[in-house]
Amino acid sequence: MKRKIEHPAPPAAESLTGPKYWRSLDELAGTPGFRAQLEREFPEGAAELDGVDRRGFMKLMAASFALGGVGLSGCRRPEKFILPYGKSVEGVIPGLPSYYATAMPLRQGAIPLLAETHQGRPTKLEGNPTYAPHGGAASLLAQASVLDLYDPDRARAHTRGGKALSAAEVATLLGEIAAKYAATQGAGLALLADESSSPTRARLVKELRAKLPRALWSEYEPVTDQPPVAAAQAVFGQAVRPLPDFAKARRILSIDADFLQAEAGSLASARGFAQGRRVNRKEDPMNRLYVVESGMSLTGSMADHRLRLATSQMTAFTASLVIAVYPDSASVLEPLTQGVKLDPKWIQACVEDLQAHRGAALVVAGSHLPAEVHAMVHGLNSILGAAGATVSYLPVESTPGATSLSALAAAIKGGSVKTLVILGGNPAYNAPADLDWAALQKSVGEVIRWGTHVDETSGVNPAATTHLAAAHYLESWGDARTVDGTVVPVQPMILPLFGGLTQIEVLARLAGQTEADSYQLVAATVTGLAGAGADVARVMERFLHDGVLAGSAHRPVSVRFNASGAQSLLAAVRPAAAPTKDNLEVRFVVDAKVDDGRFANNGWLQECPDPITKISWDNAILISPRLARDLGIDPKGSLIQVARKENAEFTMGKENARVFELSLGGRTISGPVHIQPGLANYTVIVPLGYGRTAAGHVGNGAGFNAYPLRTTGAMHVGLGAKLRDTGKRLLLANTQEHWSMEGRDIIREANYEPATKPDGNSYRENPGYVRKVGMESHTPSNLGEYGEKMTPQERATKIPRGNSLYQTPQFDGHHQWGMSIDLNTCIGCNACVVACQAENNIPIVGKDQVMRGREMHWIRLDRYYSSGTIDAEAFGGEGNRELPEDPQVSLQPMTCVHCELAPCEVVCPVNATVHDEEGINTMAYNRCIGTRYCANNCPYKVRRFNFFDWNQRRLDSLYLGPAGDYGMPELLQMAKNPEVTVRMRGVMEKCTYCVQRVQNGKIRHKVKTAQAGRPGDVVVPDGTIKVACEQTCPVGAIVFGNILDKDSAVSRAKAREQDYAVLGYLNVRPRTTYSGKLRNPNPRMPDFQPLPFSRVEYARKNEPAAHGDHGAHGHGAKPGHGAAPATPSHGGKS
Amino acid sequence: MSKLFPKSANQLPLQILIYLAVVAGIATAGVNYYMTPKYTRVGYAPVQPVPFSHAKHVQEVGLDCRYCHSHVDKSAHSNVPTSQTCMNCHSILKTNSPLLAPVRESYAQGTPVPWVWIHQTPDYAYFNHAAHVNKGISCVECHGKVNEMDTVTHMQPLSMAFCLECHRDPASRIRDPKDVYNLDSARLADQGEAGRKAAEAFKHDWKLLPPQSCSGCHR
Repeated sequence: MKRKIEHPAPPAAESLTGPKYWRSLDELAGTPGFRAQLEREFPEGAAELDGVDRRGFMKLMAASFALGGVGLSGCRRPEKFILPYGKSVEGVIPGLPSYYATAMPLRQGAIPLLAETHQGRPTKLEGNPTYAPHGGAASLLAQASVLDLYDPDRARAHTRGGKALSAAEVATLLGEIAAKYAATQGAGLALLADESSSPTRARLVKELRAKLPRALWSEYEPVTDQPPVAAAQAVFGQAVRPLPDFAKARRILSIDADFLQAEAGSLASARGFAQGRRVNRKEDPMNRLYVVESGMSLTGSMADHRLRLATSQMTAFTASLVIAVYPDSASVLEPLTQGVKLDPKWIQACVEDLQAHRGAALVVAGSHLPAEVHAMVHGLNSILGAAGATVSYLPVESTPGATSLSALAAAIKGGSVKTLVILGGNPAYNAPADLDWAALQKSVGEVIRWGTHVDETSGVNPAATTHLAAAHYLESWGDARTVDGTVVPVQPMILPLFGGLTQIEVLARLAGQTEADSYQLVAATVTGLAGAGADVARVMERFLHDGVLAGSAHRPVSVRFNASGAQSLLAAVRPAAAPTKDNLEVRFVVDAKVDDGRFANNGWLQECPDPITKISWDNAILISPRLARDLGIDPKGSLIQVARKENAEFTMGKENARVFELSLGGRTISGPVHIQPGLANYTVIVPLGYGRTAAGHVGNGAGFNAYPLRTTGAMHVGLGAKLRDTGKRLLLANTQEHWSMEGRDIIREANYEPATKPDGNSYRENPGYVRKVGMESHTPSNLGEYGEKMTPQERATKIPRGNSLYQTPQFDGHHQWGMSIDLNTCIGCNACVVACQAENNIPIVGKDQVMRGREMHWIRLDRYYSSGTIDAEAFGGEGNRELPEDPQVSLQPMTCVHCELAPCEVVCPVNATVHDEEGINTMAYNRCIGTRYCANNCPYKVRRFNFFDWNQRRLDSLYLGPAGDYGMPELLQMAKNPEVTVRMRGVMEKCTYCVQRVQNGKIRHKVKTAQAGRPGDVVVPDGTIKVACEQTCPVGAIVFGNILDKDSAVSRAKAREQDYAVLGYLNVRPRTTYSGKLRNPNPRMPDFQPLPFSRVEYARKNEPAAHGDHGAHGHGAKPGHGAAPATPSHGGKS
Repeated sequence: MSKLFPKSANQLPLQILIYLAVVAGIATAGVNYYMTPKYTRVGYAPVQPVPFSHAKHVQEVGLDCRYCHSHVDKSAHSNVPTSQTCMNCHSILKTNSPLLAPVRESYAQGTPVPWVWIHQTPDYAYFNHAAHVNKGISCVECHGKVNEMDTVTHMQPLSMAFCLECHRDPASRIRDPKDVYNLDSARLADQGEAGRKAAEAFKHDWKLLPPQSCSGCHR
């Protein structure tokens, strides 16, 4: 055991008199946890292996060395083989990847992708740039979905009652069912499927229903991400759905809609939103986002004005909005607003702003909201001139006669279902609790389940269930429609690993086709869509090459708003009572990572921290700080930080969460509680998708299952819930312990436009505002006026760097790489984190190790809250002891910034981390001996250490050492990128600027030019090399390239006046710089802040003398900033 | 008590030091020679499943390297030919040779012929063939005169020092690009004063700047 240093006991608090010295820290640090942390020098687990002390370790090692000498097995030359193909494969060049267009289907949408395959195994997915609305971006889920293909827990065979079935037996079985029910016209047969946008499936369902008209076809999705068609049907008289175009919108109002993440088409929305948000010069316009929401979503974190409001009160809010826009509607809508307290000034100012931007304003509402809200939103968009300008309406292709899950349940109860075919989905896990699906499914005589995993649904009654192994989409032929209706192909990259079937194959066989071939089925649909007389081969070739079917997007239809249509919807609506402490509102949300639970067995997603809570491997019941106080949960904070209240209790870096029981309508679940600033006071947010019991090794037991609380009547929001403390505790793996920037200048923010009274603080007045903040604001540049203009090479050789013995690099390469990250458009979606993980073979470490702070992600997304209240009196003021109820959120992707004068390099005893000629701070893994000095000396804390052999050892037997299993399952080996070393235990790693992409890009260019007779052309054109995070970023916030080229995108980005280096005053000269964040609040709004909260905190901390003058800045003087006027502001003591 | 250590023991510390220095010197020299690729790798000539003779195919038949190693100028990996490539000729020539049985079987079954890998770089080193052969570095620099070998033998250590020798002074190793696949050609630098000038000009015009830092080969 490490020797403990006994710190002298601090004197009792009472005896402290006289001036305060630093010693008084100890006095304040009286909590046992803090004491223990002090004694240990390093956080628990960061310094030693558990269970083995140094002496024991030395004994063991001595013994193993002695034994190792006996065999001398290491001295033999391992014989390895080169195994070329027997028959040449067309188009395959060993060592070069091939790219194929495919798409990831998800509910009623799809993400067009390009799959990178290495000799036939897909390793990485990128967005398909041919599909313009996404511009080559891919989402978090799409990036991670390649790992699902190689999931060792997938169903490996078709089984019936536990016995394996051959493919021929399955075909016979399906043929028998088809024949049997053809005789009864389908009576007795029921099919349940998840939603799909596949035109082929729609065609086959139509065929099936024509053949078996009495069969029951039902569709069920546990969550909805598209607005209800009923609303459009009522007010427009047509079945349409809105497709917002955020790029054209100057003013956006989101009513509980997380359009940047949870809603359908979020990739296109995010991209469009960023287009309207990006500001490169001070002349550029910037959009403004109003968000009204109950939770704290990524969309809310981007808001310029955010109103916290319970989801059940959104109807009242929307009605008030309509009244403000169109006062004539008051007579009808006034009753809806009864009893709901809303700030009329907020609504009035917001409405005026929207009206001032007629034709460029946009209102969107969350899909989970009731039809009447959407009807009113359709009306608002019509009045604001949005229809046809910022929102278009697309026809909805309805699957005729698809019944709901409830109707199917009724049929099963009625005994009319003899054979139930469940295609995908997982109803036994996620059906509404009141249906008692498991019992229903058990009562059916024959169940055929098609699914990738033998999951909860397949396990309901295994003896009577036939499980058909499903093919992953990367193994399937198929098709899908994106959110705008464009038909995209789903193309297989590899033969089904476990002989899986596609859904359309199963459907075709049930429809009586004996020779069902997925490719033929898709080709028939696509050529049908392409029009009569099209050449099948040519159409398919083009379709598969481009990855989109040109011109197949839905054509917008023109709509006419008919207010009388809305009346019927509104007539039945009564305003809901405001939630209170004893009458809580529960809002069920789709999880950002595991979605509705379908991705629960994906280790990359499980380990990825939630974008807002930063909890990995778990979900939590999210409650507001107000509710936490009411419930008597009062976490403290570390005493050495300025903002001393934490949003959770942390024990040695682990979130020690209280387990509460949440009951709603007589049903109860229990789960850990996490306090989430920014929530509506009495709304409880419960993410779905966790607590799986039959997901697989990764997903089983992660988090708690919230589905048992959901009933048919309260699928998305329920009222009348109660929370009760169980007294138990649960440790959560939270990757960001502290929420406050502490008044530091890490993220530099400004308002876009000046307030009514110009003060020189806004971006428009001073685009170089980033230099007004931080150390740089009152010191001359480290490099001096001339140094700033030098090339990296000149800087490296001419500007003295002290008398260091360390030989610093000369930067004499043909390129100098650099990166710029635009904090103004970053939405914090985490897609870059997982893209990096997939590209760079980054392992997962499991919950236990994340709790020890050993997560391996090369990029982390820092999320800070600020409320403008922290006090200059660093350890005293009241503001430091409050958890903000309504904070501003700032997000920052942080990864190795590739310092030109890297502090990590000078401390490495073995030169394992050094610079290359082109400015990349490299890691030579085979040199690294694991001293971890570099990580200690890194000011950005971006280095990651392999405490264990994550790749070769099973995560549940890490501590068994040599006694544990060794070796990576072959399936997981297939997922690795062959261009990147798989790191072993004991080496440090970190962002390499995707050096494999850089080197391969350079070589590809040089080979091309040399073969074309232009060998001197060695500089890679801008945009050819894209690093993984840059490529997938939906908002284009990350730009990478050659900073020697003045016209490159990265040089232009770095030339923006709001570009700054984080911790630049350290003179480490980082190559990655950040563009400051802008907020665009409306000066007429009651919650207008003349200065972003983080700047207020900065000023209060760093310029306490000028503190008194800050009255003009509005903080402190005005209560209630940013808070819902219906509720008191963040005042903790109110 | 005084006789416990004889007088000669006074020399002992010095003798021990000298002894240790000698032993350490021998050990260092031994490791440096016997445990580096110069000794462990050079000369490795394993028995291949098919006794393929490069000498015969290049010198008698006149095949270019790229007939079989067809992607060497495109890919990082210089491909070993598929059995189908062999069968291009051997479906007509020597169709019944028992030595070619593994190739015929491989072609018929689609299973690979297990060629023994000779020129192995470590897993953490990423060598790129295309980057070298397109820039005037001939096959012979690393592989030796394969065109004269009946059995392929490991000729160069292929250690990091070997790589760096050339990366630090590329002008001394480059050939005229048209001579890259001609293993009997001479380096430019070995062609007298004019050759040396041509090599320098080549280096300048082609902007040769071979990486000398880790990221060039280690990822």
